[in-house]
Amino acid sequence: MKIQELMTTKIESVDSDKTVYDAIEKMVDRRIRALMVRFPEEKLNHGIITARDIVFKVLAKSLNPKDILVSEIASKPAVCIDKNMDLNEAASIMEKKNIARIFVCDSEQIIGVIALIDIMTGALIMRARGDHDS
Amino acid sequence: MILEKILSPGKKERKVTDNMRRHIQLLCAACDLFRTAMEKDDRNLMRDVIDLEREGDSIRREIISLIYEGAFLPYLRPDLCRYVEIVDNVFDVLGDTAPYYLDGKIPEQIKSECIRIAYFNSKICEMLLITFEAMLKGDDLREKTLAIRIYEKKIDDIKFSLIRDIHKIPISNFWDGKILSEFISGLSAISDIIEEASDHLQIINLSMK
Repeated sequence: MKIQELMTTKIESVDSDKTVYDAIEKMVDRRIRALMVRFPEEKLNHGIITARDIVFKVLAKSLNPKDILVSEIASKPAVCIDKNMDLNEAASIMEKKNIARIFVCDSEQIIGVIALIDIMTGALIMRARGDHDS
Repeated sequence: MILEKILSPGKKERKVTDNMRRHIQLLCAACDLFRTAMEKDDRNLMRDVIDLEREGDSIRREIISLIYEGAFLPYLRPDLCRYVEIVDNVFDVLGDTAPYYLDGKIPEQIKSECIRIAYFNSKICEMLLITFEAMLKGDDLREKTLAIRIYEKKIDDIKFSLIRDIHKIPISNFWDGKILSEFISGLSAISDIIEEASDHLQIINLSMK
């Protein structure tokens, strides 16, 4: 199964010059755990900010999220994989890089995001279809 | 074919299961057509969906007639009829939603997400067919129904995001808004009904054991 079949195509984003608090607000409102970070002056580079970044780099250190910019804690550049990659390859990259979600690209354009839960559900769908060896 | 073997093997039962298979295959074709019509913005293809709904209706009548003529043991008949009615309900929703597409214009900002729902609708329908075939073989349906629930959840997530997005779209008159709203409701209701159909297959499967 190709990742484009199960990726989330709606990508929520935040500008790099916004505060971490803005990012938290958006994540809570949308019930999501990560946001794509836009760096307006650098067209092709995108980053990512996750709940993990916010907790470990800001909240757990008792820093004020209103004083810290997204650009200070975002991971950049975001890891991007081809839309035609299969689920196992994507899982292997996520394991190597110890990340829970990864952007999906068509040429250099980000077209979606795939999370570990998508890989898991994709594997279950493949089992149900009989597209597996085990 | 566990349904025929266990219960009452005969030509009528075979005819019913063949028609039930044809019913789901036709539904898959209708869902695929709906998706292609949206992707290509082809209004003629969308009109064909309405024709398929009528064809689905006639298969439903045939199945119900065969069951009432005495196919299968009596205790199974209500559940089989109910299942066929649920599948037919999916046809109805598809047939009702297609005209909303023809009457309105889907705003560009939500088009790709609507196509994504239509894509998952055809996938969930494919999975219903796989579940039905598994039931006929007497297989465990647990993994198949889980896959259906996964697809349904995916569609639900897109639906909630769509609802948020449509709040931002300015609507110039009541009917434009109503048509768009009905279109999205219909498009996202299909997976709920297919999930209900798969749950019913599970009930039929359990009642045969």
